Amino acid sequence: MRALTGGSAARRGIIVLWVMIVSLLPGLSLAASQSYCLSCHGQKGFSGGYVDQKRYEKSVHGIRPCTGCHLDVVSYPHPKKVAEVDCSVCHLAGTFGAPTQPARQYWLSVHGQAVREGVRNAPICQTCHGSHYILPPSNQQSRVNRKNIPHLCSGCHEYEYEQYMKSIHARTFFQMHDEKAAVCYDCHEEHRVPNVTQPRWELWVVRECGSCHRRELLTYRDTIHGEISRLGYTTVARCPDCHGSHDILPPSNPESTLYKGPNRVRTCRQCHPTATVSFTEYYAHPNMHDRARYPLLYYTHLFMSILIFGVFSFFSVHTFLWAYRSVKERHKTREEK
Amino acid sequence: MKAGEDGTYIRRLIPYHRVLHVFVQLSFFGLVSTGMPLKYSDAPWASWIMRFWGGYQNAGLIHRICASVTLGYFAAHLLFLIYYIGFVRKFRFDFFGPDSMVPRPKDFRDIYGSFQWFMGLSPRPRFDRWTYWEKFDYWAVFWGVGIIGGSGLLLWFKGFFGQFLPGYIFNIAIIVHGEEALLAAAFIFTIHFFNTHLRPEKFPMDTVMFTGRLSLEEFRRERPLEYKRLEESGELDKYRAKSPSGALLCISIPYGVFLLLFGFFLLVLILLGQFVY
Repeated sequence: MRALTGGSAARRGIIVLWVMIVSLLPGLSLAASQSYCLSCHGQKGFSGGYVDQKRYEKSVHGIRPCTGCHLDVVSYPHPKKVAEVDCSVCHLAGTFGAPTQPARQYWLSVHGQAVREGVRNAPICQTCHGSHYILPPSNQQSRVNRKNIPHLCSGCHEYEYEQYMKSIHARTFFQMHDEKAAVCYDCHEEHRVPNVTQPRWELWVVRECGSCHRRELLTYRDTIHGEISRLGYTTVARCPDCHGSHDILPPSNPESTLYKGPNRVRTCRQCHPTATVSFTEYYAHPNMHDRARYPLLYYTHLFMSILIFGVFSFFSVHTFLWAYRSVKERHKTREEK
Repeated sequence: MKAGEDGTYIRRLIPYHRVLHVFVQLSFFGLVSTGMPLKYSDAPWASWIMRFWGGYQNAGLIHRICASVTLGYFAAHLLFLIYYIGFVRKFRFDFFGPDSMVPRPKDFRDIYGSFQWFMGLSPRPRFDRWTYWEKFDYWAVFWGVGIIGGSGLLLWFKGFFGQFLPGYIFNIAIIVHGEEALLAAAFIFTIHFFNTHLRPEKFPMDTVMFTGRLSLEEFRRERPLEYKRLEESGELDKYRAKSPSGALLCISIPYGVFLLLFGFFLLVLILLGQFVY
């Protein structure tokens, strides 16, 4: 017994030692490959591509060796044309604990789909994240930091960027410095980037708007528009149909699609071709519990509630007493027989 | 009493009313089951029902067809009233008489008397042709069709009404439409079902609305004043009828039981929608 435990302790010692050596290896190889590669690539103005060692080491991949990503470089001299780095080697397989969910979501996104279909210039990981100096998104300097997102997306989506920069979201974000205001990826989901013409996204985005505009979502659900969309149909007015999307403005703004008058009539006419100014006095976000703002709805609801309560109060008492009496009478007649 | 024997039954309802009532039933069930998924769209059953109808567009179409049937039977009944009061009774109809649906002081005395009977304080009030709860049902349909039908038409032809009415009229209309419909459905599936079918004297159902006929014995027990009145005036023989045929009962009992069960099913969904989700 003792021999056995003693032996196992020794074995454990060997394993620990082995693990220590193995875990040092990447460090050794890092030191080896980095200093080796940087003897050329670390020189400013190097024609084959300059890498700033200090910035690289501060990046999220800073402890990884060059050859950890540039897998086709195994010795020097390396081929003239080095292949584009494939992030999925770690980020789909989960090697070295790399997060895999973003890559998996990306692969199914419209961006990933475009890459799979071979669309030229379709965005790959590096398009948004950069390559050598990837910083965590929480870092202000990161390309994918919240406040850099609109500018990042504008690289391809220039028109949408211009529209967005006119919106109340952009104004709140960049002029009032309220970082809660929506930027591109709040509605378009950074890695998942779903197809905006698909019903799933069209319904999802309503809830997404509602995650900030909570009361508006609740009151929208009280209208026929909100009820039908909640049941899974997209052919009724959803938030962007009335409010616009990238260039969204508050209805009090004369430029808004919902500004009282011709703008609002035009917006309603998308679905209701005979809409007039009086038609557009419809409350798209009614709240029948708010007596101050919607007295008509409040008192209508109150009247109906009293009516329902009155009828059922009377008849439930009437019914229960009647049932009691009828059962009793039946027992009596049965006993008489 | 043998089936088919003459004179053992009394004719209470004419075929015109029995047929109209079938239209009332079918359109009502159609309206409730296509309308409630919208009112309770947050309940999981709502999308199942919508899918059953094949989408909200189909459900909307069925809803409007049933609404047209409703307005049709409503108009048919108004025409009947004109025909009956004007041509049959030559405008000498007693609106406060026993044949009228208009409430009269006796109805209020009967309500009071019924509560006394419920509590064992007095014998049951003696009813004439129409009891107070039957009159309530009648006027409830009148009021319901008016309120739900009016608000429904407003919402159906919103483009037309929106030309000259403010848009928030549709907000009011949808509140009234939905809540009155809730009242109507919940009332029919509980109170009306109990009063006419489920109380021990009638359980499981009263077929008089389908056959139009009531056994003489039951008639004498349930409507003693009318029985006495007809007997004294000698009119009783005029209303004697054969017992309803087996074929008629074979259709009306399963049909009635089916609607009762369907009503309970919808009631459960309404209660779930109202109180659970």
